[in-house]
Amino acid sequence: MSTIGHNNPLYKIVSTHYLIAGLFFLVLAGMLLFSLEALSGHYFQPKILAMTHTAALGWGSMIIFGALYQLLPVILETKLYSIKLAWASITFFVPGIVLLVYCFWIFDPGMYMQIAGVLVFTAIILFNLNVFFTVKYKKQESIFQEFIITACLWLTLTALLGLLMVFNFQYSFLQKDHLHFLRLHAHMGIAGWFLMLIIGVSAKLLPMFLISEYEKKHLLLFAYYCINAALLLFLLDGYLHGINGYTYFVWLLGVTGVCFYLFYIFRCFQSRIRKDVDLPMVKSLFSFVFLAAGILILPFILYYHLKNDAFAVNLSTLYGSLIFMGWISLLILGQTFKTLPYIVWVKHYEQLTGKVKTPLPSDLINKGLLYAQSFAFLLFLLAFISGFLFSSFTLKSIAAGSLAVTALSYFAHLIVLLLHQTKTEDYDHI
Amino acid sequence: MITFDIPEFLFAMKVTVVDALKTVIDPELHVNIVDLGMVYHVKVDDINKCILIEMTLSSRNCPMSESILSAVKNSIIRTFPDYQAEVSLVWEPAWNYRTIPEAGLRKLRGL
Repeated sequence: MSTIGHNNPLYKIVSTHYLIAGLFFLVLAGMLLFSLEALSGHYFQPKILAMTHTAALGWGSMIIFGALYQLLPVILETKLYSIKLAWASITFFVPGIVLLVYCFWIFDPGMYMQIAGVLVFTAIILFNLNVFFTVKYKKQESIFQEFIITACLWLTLTALLGLLMVFNFQYSFLQKDHLHFLRLHAHMGIAGWFLMLIIGVSAKLLPMFLISEYEKKHLLLFAYYCINAALLLFLLDGYLHGINGYTYFVWLLGVTGVCFYLFYIFRCFQSRIRKDVDLPMVKSLFSFVFLAAGILILPFILYYHLKNDAFAVNLSTLYGSLIFMGWISLLILGQTFKTLPYIVWVKHYEQLTGKVKTPLPSDLINKGLLYAQSFAFLLFLLAFISGFLFSSFTLKSIAAGSLAVTALSYFAHLIVLLLHQTKTEDYDHI
Repeated sequence: MITFDIPEFLFAMKVTVVDALKTVIDPELHVNIVDLGMVYHVKVDDINKCILIEMTLSSRNCPMSESILSAVKNSIIRTFPDYQAEVSLVWEPAWNYRTIPEAGLRKLRGL
């Protein structure tokens, strides 16, 4: 019955994803330390592209893949289709990301970047097959699965366009310039993959963690249609006409969708039975402030872009930073320590419960490391955003240092959790 | 509300069984399964020396299901070494937040 037994391979595949994602987070922090100057320039440059792909693939998507292998059975109430497929996916994914990021960093848009693109695309296809087959064998349909499947479709399209762009560097077959496609590629990834998936997963898990019985799923349905319609319109209009006045309407439609979702989360929070909210949940909920902040910057980017003002480029980098480093990273930093302790706990204590007194999953968390990581990340966000707004190199340096501390404490915490030793107490001694 | 099927002369066992079950804590909610209203029925079969627990879980694919069920079994065997323990999982009536007894709600609210 359990999804993660003592010898269950699901533990290995999930923990491997978490560990590798933690390593990529460390690499990302290191890259930021050595490329602060690049942040002041245009976002379409080697180091920014390398960092963005480390964040989006190595950090964000890697941990989402691992977490989904663990959570799909809970969300969809069915078993994961195949562990072997999950291993096959990561076998392509890791070398693909490493090679891709390296090729961006030194900007070698040749054969190695193409190989990297093919590896990443293959990994994504294998991951998607696993999700589709898991959903296929599910008995009841739910709005959550619609979000997850749609997110996977967008991920495939994002990766496909990315792959085409990689080949286009050498063969130049795309009709329009790279910046044009980069915009579409980025928004398919952000709104299609990350936003759709995070909505689908969080809409199921946040009420569970908060113990809320709020069940107005139609808000999620409105969010689903608005966001997807906005994204499709953006892609179609963006491809044909580029950014124009009409894009404000598309933005408004997307924002309406996000508002429906945020209202759903707010109502879940408001109607929760459990009043105390732990630090990982506080971080997860706080992350949505950065999503909102990122979205609110978009009309300003449009405004300056339409005026051909270079400030639009700076705002675009800030927008990307708020989305990847504010919203997605904060959510991951929070949710890692809501989900990982469970699989570690099950591995150590599943057969011991009731015989002897065992700790609870939340007792496995190292509070010191959690607070260190939270404080360092808060400092990073404050220093990074203000450093960006005031163009201060000192503040950006503080931000890069803080991110390095965050990544180190996060990775150390992962190691502490995965090396946990079984600790029990006899009931007679209590 | 738990219903009991216990022979009159073993009536004292009722409190002890409930106390044993109260040592089983839901790993996410941090409240014991009795106060969460997950235990529906307790039957003591003195002839076959068996205690049957009929209970439910928060969801059918609860990732903690195996650990909770083995905890229930182990807690009964630890408290009544002469008895066997059987746990029967039922899904009707379905558990939801509205069925949580007042004691469980108080604990969840941190009161």
